[in-house]
Amino acid sequence: FDELLLHHRPPEQTYREARLPLSTMRLLTHNYLTSNVKGTTKGYPLIIEAEKVECEESPIDREMIIKLLPKIEYGALLGAAKQVASLCDPPLPDLPEELDTASEGWEETIDDGILNSLHRVMFDIHIIEGALICPDTGRKFPIKESIPNMILHEDEI
Amino acid sequence: GTKFRHDVLPSVSPIATSQRHSNLPDIAAILSRCVLIRSVVELWGAGTTIESCADSVQKFAQYNNKDKDIADNDNNGDFSSSSNSGSRSSASILAPHRTNSRSWKITVHTLGSKYSREEQNDMRHQFAFLRFDGPVKMECPDDEFILIREVALDDKGGPIYPRHSHGRVLISENEARPPVAAYFGRILGSGRNWRSDLERYSLKKRLYLGPTSMDAELSLVMTNLARVTSKSLAFDPFVGTGSILLSCGLRGARCVGTDIDIRVLRGQGKEEDVFSNFRQYHLPRPELIRSDNSLYHRHYRPQPPLYDAIVTDPPYGIRAGARKSGSKRDEVRAVAEEHRHDHIAQTRPYAVSDVMADLLDVSARALTMGGRLVYVIPSMTDFDEDTDLPRHDCLKLVYTCYQPLSAELGRRMVTMEKVADYDETKREAYMANVWINGPESAEKCANIRDRIIEAAKQKPGYEEKAALRREKRRATREAKKKAKRELQGTGDSISHA
Repeated sequence: FDELLLHHRPPEQTYREARLPLSTMRLLTHNYLTSNVKGTTKGYPLIIEAEKVECEESPIDREMIIKLLPKIEYGALLGAAKQVASLCDPPLPDLPEELDTASEGWEETIDDGILNSLHRVMFDIHIIEGALICPDTGRKFPIKESIPNMILHEDEI
Repeated sequence: GTKFRHDVLPSVSPIATSQRHSNLPDIAAILSRCVLIRSVVELWGAGTTIESCADSVQKFAQYNNKDKDIADNDNNGDFSSSSNSGSRSSASILAPHRTNSRSWKITVHTLGSKYSREEQNDMRHQFAFLRFDGPVKMECPDDEFILIREVALDDKGGPIYPRHSHGRVLISENEARPPVAAYFGRILGSGRNWRSDLERYSLKKRLYLGPTSMDAELSLVMTNLARVTSKSLAFDPFVGTGSILLSCGLRGARCVGTDIDIRVLRGQGKEEDVFSNFRQYHLPRPELIRSDNSLYHRHYRPQPPLYDAIVTDPPYGIRAGARKSGSKRDEVRAVAEEHRHDHIAQTRPYAVSDVMADLLDVSARALTMGGRLVYVIPSMTDFDEDTDLPRHDCLKLVYTCYQPLSAELGRRMVTMEKVADYDETKREAYMANVWINGPESAEKCANIRDRIIEAAKQKPGYEEKAALRREKRRATREAKKKAKRELQGTGDSISHA
């Protein structure tokens, strides 16, 4: 079954009828999650330890991506993409090392190639099993059936 | 404190008139989105009685020789806002519908009252002067005209002066009352057939239901108040079984939901969880995170704000008892590191006043400027909208809509909009200002089920009714047991044979 996940290329549709979780955790969500266990200094970005990843093509919405880009911590997105790259099939495209979302007219600098890559990384990678690790304390927040469990234990609050 | 201003939608009449020029694509777009619009009508005439309405339509029809502007409205009375402004004359409005190739019918809509077929036909005859040459067709005619007879309605949508009593007996004083208004016109478009759509989307057909799944119509209305579109990022911090999030998805939004309870997030099993609903309607997968909304600011980085809409039905201690992280005890024991990975986090009760305060604070942080928070809360008649609703300096109250469910209980849909950036240094001030009457306001929404039961117990005859119900339940249980015994008895004899 794991073989099926890694090598099967899903047809052009929003999701599959397979016995896989029908929710997802995308790298966009990872971009916002932090650890705030008592004693962390920053707790961001969380390190991704992925065990099962799924890649699924979806339609590209340029407007949505342009709208979201200024809200993203681009460095964290790059880091996350690198951490899951080995489990992605087909292989992840290259992303620019930096992204300017501040200067006038930055939207024009995002050509279709970059847009495709950004879309792929932000929306089409689905983390099914694994963990998110606090960079300061090492605390693991498990991801099971694509639901990350961020609930703090009573001694961590 | 901040000035508290809000618009309350009037609940007096279900009919609204407008001077807008009838632009069919716009109307179709509005109707496809709106849940509660029954139809849009091109108004040909109106009056305070059916007779005066017919007169008004007759005058409208008489302007049919020249391309004369109907801006000249003084003969038509207050109501006639014939919806054309500009160059269309009544000739161009009427003529196309008079040809003998177009089938037609007149629907008679008598608000809140029942009229017999003969009575309705008498009303129709008053418009016979219109002389439509085509055939009458009851199912899907080319043109559907409507005659609306409006009477005064109460806030539950029933007539204040009903025509018939419960026993279908005519109440003559009410019968003698004139209507509030009568309108005649051509139907330009009907609301989406939400009845059949809702059946498709309805809870009965949904794969997964929890005890608090909100009906589809209500959650779709919430998405309209929250202005959820296909360009939105929508968030439900108390996602539960996902009904509201699903409606956001139906509007094309990208959806994120959180909940502290892993059982609702996971559902009953692979084929029956929340996302089966998204799959059922072919929507992109939503994202679900198990997290505690009272600790939102510790799970999610604050800047920049992400969500265009936050649409939710918070837990108010009725059937879904609210929980938050943390121990009930004062002394918290440390969790041993080797057990950390499978330790089940303790939770404790989450007071409704905190649920609401946290919801507003999270919305103030996480909404984009101009983004909207829409939530529902139950309330009984002691709730005062002007003073009991929670507030936040970053949010402005835009609408409240009250839906009565019974004489004492109702549901309130509240819409707020983000108008100021969140300032972390002001957090304590924000939280201190949430309840102007103190957290007791929140208690008015909490544990309503228990309060209703308590109130029912005070009423006379409660003991007798309760005893009757117990007896009935016992009888049905006995009957079921008996039936089961008989069935097993038969089964046994077959297996022996």
